[in-house]
Amino acid sequence: MSNENQRTYWKSLNELAQNEEFVKASEREFPKEASELKDGLSRRNFIQIMGASVALAGLASCRKPVQKILPLRQQPEHMVPGNPLYYATSMPFKDSVYGLIVETREGRPIKIEGNPEHPSTLGSTNVFQQAATLELYDRDRSRHILQGDQQASREEFEAFCAEQFADTDQRIAFISEDSSSPTYLRLKQAVLDRFPNAEWVNHEPFSDENRLLGNEKAFGQKLRTYHHFDQAKVILSLDEDFMQLSDNDVENVKRFSEARRVKSTEDDMNRLYSVESAFTLTGSNADHRLRVKAAQIPLFLNALAARLSESVDGLEAYRNHTNEFSQHAWISVLAEELLNNRGESIVAAGMDHDSDVHATVAAINLALGNAGTTIAYLELPHVEAGDQNQRFAEVTRRLGAGEFQSVVIMGTNPVFTAPSDLNFAEALDAVPVSINLSNHVGETARLCDWHVNKTHFLEAWGDGYSYNGVRSIIQPMIQPLFGALSEVEFLNMVLNGEYTTGYDLVRETWQSFAPQDFEDTWATVLHDGLQEGTSFPAVSVSLANGFTEEAGQVLGQSTPVDEEALELVMKVDSRVYDGRFANNGWLQELPDSITKITWDNVAQISAATARRIGIPDERDFGDLDAHKIRITAGDQTVEIPAWVIPGQADNSITVTYGYGREGFGRVADGVGTDIYPLRTTENLLFHSDVQVERTGEQYAIASTQDHSSMEGRALVREASIEEYRDHPTFAPDMVYIPGEVDEKSISRYTLFDPQDYPENEPQWGMSIDLNTCIGCHACTIACQAENNIPVIGKREVHREREMHWIRVDRYFSGPDEANPQVLHQPVPCMHCELAPCEQVCPVAATTHSDDGLNQMTYNRCIGTRYCANNCPYKVRRFNFFNYTKEYLTTGEDPEVVQMAMNPDVTIRFRGVMEKCTYCVQRIQRGKIETKRETDLKKPADGTVKTACQQACPANAIDFGDLTDTDSQISQIKRNERSYLMLGELNTRPRTSYVAKLRNPNPDMA
Amino acid sequence: MAQIFPKWANKVPKQIQLGLILGLTAIVFGFWYFGSPEYLEVGYAPEQPIPYSHQLHVGELGLDCRYCHASVEESAKASIPPTQTCMGCHEQIASDSPALEPLRESWETGEPVEWIRVHDIPDLAYFDHSAHVNVGVGCVSCHGRVDRMQVVMKTESMSMGWCLDCHNDPGPDLRPVEQVTNMDWQPPEDQHELAQMIISKRNIAPPTYCNACHR
Amino acid sequence: MSQKYKYKPEPALVEGDHDFGSITKLISDIPQQATPKWWYIAFGISNMVLALLLGVVTYLIVQGTGVWGLNKAAGWGWAIVNFVWWVGIGHAGTLISAILFLFRQGWRTAINRFAEAMTIFAVMCAGIFPAIHVGRIWVVYWMFPIPNSMQLWPQFFSPLLWDVFAVGTYFTVSLLFWYVGLVPDFATMRDKVKGKWAKFTYGLFSLGWTGGNRQWQNYEKSYMILAGLAAPLVLSVHTIVSFDFAVSIIPGWHTTIFPPYFVAGAVFSGFAMVMTLMLIARKLYGLQDIMTVNHIEKMNIIILVTGSMVGFAYIMEFFIAWYGGVEYEKFAFINRATGPYAWAYWIMTLCNVISPQFFWVKKFRRSVVMSFILSIVVNIGMWFERFVITVTSLAQDYIPGAWAYYTPTLIDVLTFVGTFGLFFTFFLLFLRFMPMVAMAEIKGVMPQANPAFYENDKMADLAKGPGEQQTGKER
Repeated sequence: MSNENQRTYWKSLNELAQNEEFVKASEREFPKEASELKDGLSRRNFIQIMGASVALAGLASCRKPVQKILPLRQQPEHMVPGNPLYYATSMPFKDSVYGLIVETREGRPIKIEGNPEHPSTLGSTNVFQQAATLELYDRDRSRHILQGDQQASREEFEAFCAEQFADTDQRIAFISEDSSSPTYLRLKQAVLDRFPNAEWVNHEPFSDENRLLGNEKAFGQKLRTYHHFDQAKVILSLDEDFMQLSDNDVENVKRFSEARRVKSTEDDMNRLYSVESAFTLTGSNADHRLRVKAAQIPLFLNALAARLSESVDGLEAYRNHTNEFSQHAWISVLAEELLNNRGESIVAAGMDHDSDVHATVAAINLALGNAGTTIAYLELPHVEAGDQNQRFAEVTRRLGAGEFQSVVIMGTNPVFTAPSDLNFAEALDAVPVSINLSNHVGETARLCDWHVNKTHFLEAWGDGYSYNGVRSIIQPMIQPLFGALSEVEFLNMVLNGEYTTGYDLVRETWQSFAPQDFEDTWATVLHDGLQEGTSFPAVSVSLANGFTEEAGQVLGQSTPVDEEALELVMKVDSRVYDGRFANNGWLQELPDSITKITWDNVAQISAATARRIGIPDERDFGDLDAHKIRITAGDQTVEIPAWVIPGQADNSITVTYGYGREGFGRVADGVGTDIYPLRTTENLLFHSDVQVERTGEQYAIASTQDHSSMEGRALVREASIEEYRDHPTFAPDMVYIPGEVDEKSISRYTLFDPQDYPENEPQWGMSIDLNTCIGCHACTIACQAENNIPVIGKREVHREREMHWIRVDRYFSGPDEANPQVLHQPVPCMHCELAPCEQVCPVAATTHSDDGLNQMTYNRCIGTRYCANNCPYKVRRFNFFNYTKEYLTTGEDPEVVQMAMNPDVTIRFRGVMEKCTYCVQRIQRGKIETKRETDLKKPADGTVKTACQQACPANAIDFGDLTDTDSQISQIKRNERSYLMLGELNTRPRTSYVAKLRNPNPDMA
Repeated sequence: MAQIFPKWANKVPKQIQLGLILGLTAIVFGFWYFGSPEYLEVGYAPEQPIPYSHQLHVGELGLDCRYCHASVEESAKASIPPTQTCMGCHEQIASDSPALEPLRESWETGEPVEWIRVHDIPDLAYFDHSAHVNVGVGCVSCHGRVDRMQVVMKTESMSMGWCLDCHNDPGPDLRPVEQVTNMDWQPPEDQHELAQMIISKRNIAPPTYCNACHR
Repeated sequence: MSQKYKYKPEPALVEGDHDFGSITKLISDIPQQATPKWWYIAFGISNMVLALLLGVVTYLIVQGTGVWGLNKAAGWGWAIVNFVWWVGIGHAGTLISAILFLFRQGWRTAINRFAEAMTIFAVMCAGIFPAIHVGRIWVVYWMFPIPNSMQLWPQFFSPLLWDVFAVGTYFTVSLLFWYVGLVPDFATMRDKVKGKWAKFTYGLFSLGWTGGNRQWQNYEKSYMILAGLAAPLVLSVHTIVSFDFAVSIIPGWHTTIFPPYFVAGAVFSGFAMVMTLMLIARKLYGLQDIMTVNHIEKMNIIILVTGSMVGFAYIMEFFIAWYGGVEYEKFAFINRATGPYAWAYWIMTLCNVISPQFFWVKKFRRSVVMSFILSIVVNIGMWFERFVITVTSLAQDYIPGAWAYYTPTLIDVLTFVGTFGLFFTFFLLFLRFMPMVAMAEIKGVMPQANPAFYENDKMADLAKGPGEQQTGKER
């Protein structure tokens, strides 16, 4: 089964390698990109240049192959060949944008960072933003406008629109993804004005709709909930994964980790309670975690509200309400905590829970006085009236009834994501004319009469509001690779039947935002990436009259949950989200933070549930096969491998969406299992009662971590904040390290002459704060993007050969095996001063540099793998096959993905070892620039940032010069919680850790 | 019993031994010498699409290197000038010369002029021009007397050892920064003192560890 | 005299009624007889297996080391296991030919010739693996100090580099030693064989040997010198191979006991292999007179001793792991016996520690069948020892999060099987075309070699023992 998937996956890649040029190119050790680019960064030019340099690469002679240099015709402004250029832009995701800085090399965007000025990212990123460059260079993106399956030109489509939409009375259904773009909304209004009978509905399968509706129920207005986690002392998360899978996650993590960071025994920490059915990333970082079935969460919440109502006003509806949780130990503890921290606490519920839950949450937060302090309620300009899910269902029904002449589907992919009981595909059939705009020729596009290929946000003009309402512009970094239309251009074409550039459309909108000195504002906004002083207005909320009654009725209907029934919880995936990122190799190969599984979605179950189903409740070491189970909900059935994961609620199965694509892309196809069929209008979040049986089939799982216990070794060192205050140096004291006593006596502890470091060289070091690290893997992808790390596919990951330079080890600990605590530990190369790897390399391919790096010289490596064997941290990665060649030179147009490569980093060939280099290319650039532009001997603190450090949303990673005693890193290394992993081996690692702290509630011990 | 071997066969073993020793030495030496960039690369002077003469432009007209190789001081790449730069003059001068046909074609079509790379170090070595010219390593040191070249020729082996020679002892190749592009600058009598002065002023300590060039 | 002393002589090394002529005939006839059918069959099979090896290695080099079962934790697998195992096998040859020679152990003469042959072929098999296990075999010459335009040299701290030189030297010296020993016998063959080409070839290799007094003197001298050179190598080679592990930092590898323990193990497995081959050869060629049960018993005693030394080493490892108190090392050893690779560990213990103990019993020591079975068991056991050391330590070392279970692929297995093809191809050629017993040397240990043999009847009588008195004249 898995092998089936595998074969198709790899085969399809290889089969497509027909073009001799690139076959030739692949014969070279290091495929080379064009040295310079011509003006006008159009796709045609790219292809010519790639073509030229690559084609010639093949003609090897006794000399080196003849290389050609293709200079520009005209030098574009600011562009210096060989130097990067940075532009501010923003990434639209659902109905917000995230401010980014994009690094472009010779006109190719190759790396994305957060925009430090922009509140939505504050300089950091999440995995989706990091992976966006590969998204841009996705070779399977739709490249043409299609009429049926015939390619059509933009002019033809233009003509079609002009003719089709000439009749303004016709009934058109517009089905759109969520968008915060003012231009889009302006055009939308124009559309609705022009076509009075048109119907516009947003279909965003996992939107914040329920939260908005909840707030409407509570406050009488659809308002966005904006959490200030840095203000909160106590946080209660009910199935709410605010660290990873909810909107605005980056800012949430930033704020949360600030309140979590402990520099000295004086500092305080916030306390996070998590109540959930399956481990979310948030739950894995909680101080206290309660595992209950998703169906029980409303009950838990009501019980809590009831308890709180005894002490605060505004919750009358819940007074005297009792259910099975009323006597639960947590209720009284939580009630006490929340009441003691009024105005300094946050209660939040998962976006998938229904509006009543969110209404209760809103009421509680209001009653606790959190509204206005830790939580702001924002008024959205682009909010849709009514329940979008219901309206979508309604529109679909009417589509099926043939009430519309035409349907226009923009961005969203309802055929794949719509609840299965709506039979959207059939409904679509009933419409005479259907038009679709999307990046891929996906499930919906294939069924539409017209498909228009959509631009990537890095190649088109646009705009939008961040989560809290900062107005930003999306500026293109490169001309559309496959000549496509952006959503505004498309919508405008539908509206006016003619093509206007996105640039003009956006500027037109922005005229109104800066009536006077528009050009200056425009320039400033482009430069900064945001318009200063813009944000959504915060509303001071009060309980809607009638809420008490409504809530009362809802409570009346609430029924106890059958503990024994098998519940199926369906969630978005941490890698492919709702499926939109399914064709992104970086994300597919990224291990899930909890399961550490790549290239698959699995049914997560607890050991008890496994025994109940009749499959083994634990795996042997080395056994990466999972038993498949058949899940039947209503009339729908899926077969999916089951994976036992501690911390999962008993009798609750968790599965994630977005897998099992067909005909979507070479990476996505056949990976994992599609569970959308189980999604129905009635059961958007979970099925309370499903039938499960084992199929008897085995299925190979590619997991990057086989063993989850730390075996009592002091790798991750942690303590409660009290223990820390009693014994501040608990972490270094855990293990005695010889030679630590006096630095002079190092030589006593090593056979080799200690390396002498010249005083003119900086000495690099890194520190990872395990207390703020949440284990989100942003570092892993950032590293992959920065260092040209190949994607190797499921088969190879299953053979445990993953290539990530910075992995995140996840350990389960604690007494309760069913509900353990989780430890996340990022592990890059430690850059040991006495590196075991260096002593054993027979050809000096790995050596030590004057600035204290453990260098890996790829082109000297002969691949004995001795260094990897001898690395106690097991951070070295070996090119067992020609992964990069597979990755960069197969397919009919590999130059597209080659464009994603970082020209400053060597492409590694088969048979060589590789590992974290502390981003040496950035270090060298920093050093050279310092020498060139200043008289400083060493780069100033903060000049050089590693990719992982820059991406980390929790600011858990610090990097810098240890010889500068005032530098950030030196200060952190002096912290009493700073320790060396396996330091007792006298490897003297340059990467150290800051011990983890927990803030448990004494009443719960 | 008849002799199987003639008398001279007695010498054969010694001869074989000698042959082996000489042979092996010859093979090693052969690879070391004939396989070296020194032998293979130096003197490489390919025909360019446009017979651009550095001798004329630099030697006689006295153009400064940086006029065309503009980014040499601020970037790793010295960069080949864009067509625009050439056209700056050649719209007036020799505007109809047949030799310049490819240039004009490029200017009209926007297609690049396909120059052939002369100094090509492997992709696995990252050389940074700015790091060198800004501390007083002259262009001549690596590229030779370009101002005397009709056709640009590779004058140095540019092998790793060759780089290291200078990185281990930069002194002899240092000159006042303002003299970097000067083609016929002669080291003064007190070159050694001068070098020491530059080294301390620009705190030059050329790295010899791998990551300096290999990433 | 009041008490009755009876002089009990050593049992004769060559049994049966042999004189020099019959010995020469017995040995030198083998290459001259028509090639037996079984030889063709065996040779055919080993050739096919050899072809398999070539195929698999080509596939490996084209595809990359990924075709093996290696992973992020276990960078070494079967390839290194096989390397160490084969090198170990090789040891017996040098031990027998060099050390036993220096100790004047006459009985070595019966087996030294093909023990040395075995050494050379075994080291050839071993040598393949370090070469093919690297990721980029086309630059493997960087391991040798050759002047180059990169101004780079090998990294002399690395045990792998020491290996290259150690094994290289070992192979060269063994080859020389073997050849020098062969020269007089080649000469004998030259004089015996009919046919121009045969004469020419044997003549070529006998370097014009005439058997003159001066030649013999030089021969003895050089043989002695080579023995002196080879003796330390017996210890050095496997010591250095053991450094590959001992010098590293991995728990289960980082062990000071490795050098003696590896050498003992090597001799152990080497003798077992010699035994296996000898028993076959002696049966096929009817050499029971030369390779007597006494020889078998002596070898079995060595197997018993070295086997017990290995067993002792196993125990010491555990003791030190416990006594040293390093938690990682403690885990490594307990994990060997109880962890996911316990099966391999117990096979190892059974074969290497338990099975040789049978040889305490004289009956077993002198039993051909028993010796044959145990010799094979021992070799299996020694292979598993290397597997346990290499793989278990790597798969589960310091950081549990990075542990990975190693499973060999079909290619791993075929590569190993293939090396037997190489080994036996050469060995069969050796049996067919070379004097497989050192004629010159074995004559040296026969009673007839004693200058006084023909004169001194007493001596002859004593040699024969009572009851069957004969005089020299009658012979």
